[in-house]
Amino acid sequence: MSLKFKLPIFDVENVSFSVRSQTILQNISFQIFHGEYIAIIGPNGGGKTTLIRLLLGLEKPTSGTIRIFGKKLNNFKEWYKIGYVPQRAAHVDANFPATVEDIVKMGRIAKRKLFSSMSQEDKEMVHDAMLKMDILDLKDKMVGTLSGGQRQRVMIARALASSPEILILDEPNTGVDVKSQQRFYKLLAKLNKEEGITILFITHDIGVIADDIGRLFTINQKATICNDPKKELSCEDMSELYGIEAHLIHNHRHEH
Amino acid sequence: MLEMLEYDFMQRALIAGIFIATLASLSGTFVVLRRYSLISETLAHSALVGVAVGLVAGYNPMWMAVVIAILSAWLIEYLRSSFALYSDAVLAILLSGSLALAVIIVSLGGAFNNSLFSYLFGSILSVSDNDVLTIVIFGSLSLLFLLLFSKELYFIAYDEEVAKTSGVKVNFLNFLLVTVVAIIIALSIRVVGSLLIGALMVIPTVAALQYRVGFKNTMLISLFFALFSVIFGMTLSYYFSLPSGATIVLCVITIFIISLLMNKR
Repeated sequence: MSLKFKLPIFDVENVSFSVRSQTILQNISFQIFHGEYIAIIGPNGGGKTTLIRLLLGLEKPTSGTIRIFGKKLNNFKEWYKIGYVPQRAAHVDANFPATVEDIVKMGRIAKRKLFSSMSQEDKEMVHDAMLKMDILDLKDKMVGTLSGGQRQRVMIARALASSPEILILDEPNTGVDVKSQQRFYKLLAKLNKEEGITILFITHDIGVIADDIGRLFTINQKATICNDPKKELSCEDMSELYGIEAHLIHNHRHEH
Repeated sequence: MLEMLEYDFMQRALIAGIFIATLASLSGTFVVLRRYSLISETLAHSALVGVAVGLVAGYNPMWMAVVIAILSAWLIEYLRSSFALYSDAVLAILLSGSLALAVIIVSLGGAFNNSLFSYLFGSILSVSDNDVLTIVIFGSLSLLFLLLFSKELYFIAYDEEVAKTSGVKVNFLNFLLVTVVAIIIALSIRVVGSLLIGALMVIPTVAALQYRVGFKNTMLISLFFALFSVIFGMTLSYYFSLPSGATIVLCVITIFIISLLMNKR
């Protein structure tokens, strides 16, 4: 795969994380390359969100190293390359004074230089991001008045406005109706195929998206990596290879 | 209205008042959106400790108020981040603690008189040339900070973690914001008074939020409400010999009530 000649976006090596002697994540290693489409699943409390917070530098690993675009987390400055959509994205405080455009404009802040206001390029990127997410007609609406699905697209537009190389989404479908969810997965797949944006997201409804995803990570303290979920959703071969138990996927599919 | 402008003291009070209204409402937008409203009350009482020290020791009370308010803001941030304390409890403790300390300092120094009273409730008669100069210098610096970083501060108010992951220096800007809020509050107590400045910082924004408009317009409406309240309040205070701070606060509360009723859902 030609992608492998490039530096991985994320290079996670033997990362562990514990809080007050309670182990949340144990000895996790993986790499994420440009153009990949990866889903993370696992039980609640299994450490999915923690893993993402580690990747974003919001938490520091207890041991191990994380490299982003070849740089150690502490030295990494080009945060605009990473677009993050948190779990609570769809639950905006209804009174927060922000139009859709106000929110999407925030996406340009990472690239902003001091003393400079919005450039022509900034305006175009904000416009493009809203166009891609099909929210141009909502631009002057207050976010508090939007539906869950619409808000979700606003949050992704904000992340897209910085023209990121990777989008990281934490359970983006919480509080969103089924129809909007399907539309949302189509959008993600389109961004991945047409724009070449790498996508990493946490979900609990793996059945819906199994067709599009390239790799599947299951996280429950340890990580199991499944390289071809279409053929082998069981992951058993992979788990033997990695020496890790992979009972998760089956359990998970029966749960829902 | 024009008659009152013939007096030097009214000119000074108006310049100071316009500066303070601008600063209080602009910084107030971020303070309110971050649910920091109580910090303004607490810092106002800490500023009073500075005033007390100034009055007793013979230093410029406003300068001392600026220094003590900044130290108190830093102490609040330190306590909040380093100990397992509820942040509103930290604010409540420092609020009454500061007031108690100020009263003790003033009574030990024998300066319990009208001049302290004017710092509690504000007095337009007492604004000196020196005060105006201090307000203009520190006020301009604070204003510069707020304007330069308004987009970042807005982003932080919206979602601190997402701002962090976008490379915004969240901790540094939080620290600067409380510092600037401390300065603005200390500067305000001459005109509005330490017991009332919190209102001028918080209420114009809360009133503006009722109109449910975007960020820029919310700030502009809040600025307009603050300026109107200060100018109208001072005018009433001049013609009816009322304490300026209290009159200004009643004006801004009236605006708030009207805004609330107009936008009732």
